[in-house]
Amino acid sequence: MKVLELKNVHKVYNTTQVEVHAVNSVTLDFDQGEFAAIVGPSGSGKTTLLNMIGGLDKPSQGQILVNGTDLTRLKSSELIDFRLYNIGFVFQSYNLIPVLTAKENVEFIMNLQKWPREKRDRRTRELLEAVGLADRMNSRPAQMSGGQQQRVAVARALASKPKFILADEPTANLDTRSTENLLDIMETLNKNENMTFIFATHDPRVMKKAHRVITLEDGKVIEDRKKQ
Amino acid sequence: MKNYTYAWRNLWRNRRRTFITAASIFFAVFFALIMRSLQLGTYDYMFKNIIESYSGYIQVQNPEFWEDKVVDNTMLPDEDLISTLKADKNVLELIPRFESFALASSGSRTKGVMIMGINPEKENLLSDVKNKLVKYRLTEAAIDSLTREDIPRNTLRNLKLFSGSSYSGDGKLQTELGIRDKDTSHIMPLFRKHAGVQNGYFSQDSQGALVGNRLAQYLGLSRGDTIVLLGQGYHGTTAAGKYAIDGIVRLPAPDLDNKIVYLPVTRCQELYNAPGRLTALVLHIKDNSDRAIEQTVERLMSRIDSTYRLMGWKEMNDTIVNQMDADNKSGMIMIGILYLVIAFGVFGTVLMMTAERRREMGVLISIGMRKSKMAIIMLYEMLLIGIMGIMSGVAVSLPVIIYGYHHPIVFSSKMAKMWEDYGFEPVMAFQWIDTYFIWQSLVVAIIVLIAAMYPVFRIYRLKEVEALKA
Ligand SMILES: Nc1ncnc2c1ncn2[C@@H]1O[C@H](COP(=O)(O)OP(=O)(O)O)[C@@H](O)[C@H]1O
Ligand SMILES: [Mg+2]
Repeated sequence: MKVLELKNVHKVYNTTQVEVHAVNSVTLDFDQGEFAAIVGPSGSGKTTLLNMIGGLDKPSQGQILVNGTDLTRLKSSELIDFRLYNIGFVFQSYNLIPVLTAKENVEFIMNLQKWPREKRDRRTRELLEAVGLADRMNSRPAQMSGGQQQRVAVARALASKPKFILADEPTANLDTRSTENLLDIMETLNKNENMTFIFATHDPRVMKKAHRVITLEDGKVIEDRKKQ
Repeated sequence: MKNYTYAWRNLWRNRRRTFITAASIFFAVFFALIMRSLQLGTYDYMFKNIIESYSGYIQVQNPEFWEDKVVDNTMLPDEDLISTLKADKNVLELIPRFESFALASSGSRTKGVMIMGINPEKENLLSDVKNKLVKYRLTEAAIDSLTREDIPRNTLRNLKLFSGSSYSGDGKLQTELGIRDKDTSHIMPLFRKHAGVQNGYFSQDSQGALVGNRLAQYLGLSRGDTIVLLGQGYHGTTAAGKYAIDGIVRLPAPDLDNKIVYLPVTRCQELYNAPGRLTALVLHIKDNSDRAIEQTVERLMSRIDSTYRLMGWKEMNDTIVNQMDADNKSGMIMIGILYLVIAFGVFGTVLMMTAERRREMGVLISIGMRKSKMAIIMLYEMLLIGIMGIMSGVAVSLPVIIYGYHHPIVFSSKMAKMWEDYGFEPVMAFQWIDTYFIWQSLVVAIIVLIAAMYPVFRIYRLKEVEALKA
């Protein structure tokens, strides 16, 4: 079953001097449970593409269907709710809420979705255990290393079981050990929860782990390779 | 995680800034309340003074009298009027007045004065003239003798400053001259000996007059001297009379003190050839709140006929009421400026808060937090700062105002002299806790809320992709 379909997606930025075709007629689809990496050099359009998939930005042309819903037709207020229930985000610079503890950060989206407390607590514990941070529940982000923070961010993104996880350069700020560790955790979650992961990255360590590598250049897909 | 828990935690991200912002609100509220209390309290004090030494709260007059204060516009109160007035539940007593103008001369000096015919007994219910009789006067000679006595140094210095002043009570003399409580038993007898004044009150059938202290000094009068009054009487007759000075009174309002001559009301009627006539009946009332006065005036208005006119104290003292009104407005402008400064401070905080949290807001909205929820959290934060500032401002000003209400600021030595030279009584009184507390707090809360509109506005205009890049 397709969770995500992109049909002839374009994004053109009209800056004062030049017109930038950041994403150029991209057509792609993703199945439930994929572990895919969008790769390419800096400026090739990875972030732009990921933002449009996540409903943070609108394409200039084309359609983006998530479980059949066309994101390009939603108003920005509808998009916020759509994101809340369908998409998990992992950012390059972790972006945890500094005044909340690890546990509270993980709970955040479940709270917005008004989960009952018991169910919420169970899920939070399960996820923090899965990312190996059960003992850091009450730590604030500033008290954790970058790798630990990114693991909390992954737990937060996964918490409410969204349709898929979008991660923009999740390993760019991490050392090799933390990167391996994070990738292992994500791979396990992908397998155990059948969760779809889409990365934007130019990190070879991520490419090596990915089950599918989509290569972008100047906003165009020049290669889409599935590993076995 | 509740909205306010998150808001509360956010406040402590930058403790110092939160503290400084709350503190600036605290100071604004504190000073505004103290200023208001002092201003309103001092007006009340002044009004009370004027009302109780002159106009009273309500008067009955001939309808023509107020516009044209001549003896021809006096009234002859009839039985009906008297009984109607006396029957009213808020009226305790009727105090007769015969008020006019005359030229007063003594020796080679002449001055236009105000003649006030009073009932010596009843008048004490209102203006308490008897207790305003001068007891001490610091003449050159008195000061000379006092300096030779054993008197503390600062009191001696003040003696020179207040040379020529008169006092109708021990209390005021003691504060102005800075005489300490422990010294009074030793010093006051010295003052009585050297600066004491022989003085007396008068009775209904006395042939004498009481004069204001400043007027007495101007005309060079002391007890037993004679004053000649010359004016225009009823229906064009000449009013002329010669009176012995029975006593000298010191009125707190310098303006009155400078021109008042009291006569027993019957003497006054004789002087102006207007037997039985009065310029006013002052109502001595039980409840003198603004509301009660209004109701009493309304009630009586419907009961007495139109040959008489009822006037409330505000109408009778409209000049000073207007003056106070203007002063009140300038005070409000001061407070307005204070608030404006605070508003900019609060706005500065809001600007910084919004700028440094732009990325975080982008993240929260990206992961699915509604903008309205985000805005509510920001509003909570500002409100919390506002409430902390306002509550502490109110809490700290309360004891100050309560204390001040029971202990008005009475200036002594130089300050007192300066105030008196400007024609004010050197007293600053505090107003009791009143609606001005609510107003000041409300205004500050509104300022904070208006400042908080900025982040709300920014949140609604926020573009996720741009905010994430911040
Ligand atoms: N807001 C924008 N305005 C103008 N040009 C933009 C904007 N965002 C991205 N671009 C341009 O679009 C292209 C793709 O950028 P991006 O998607 O960030 O690439 P990547 O993530 O692969 O490094 C770049 O040339 C970039 O300069
Ligand atoms: Mg990028």
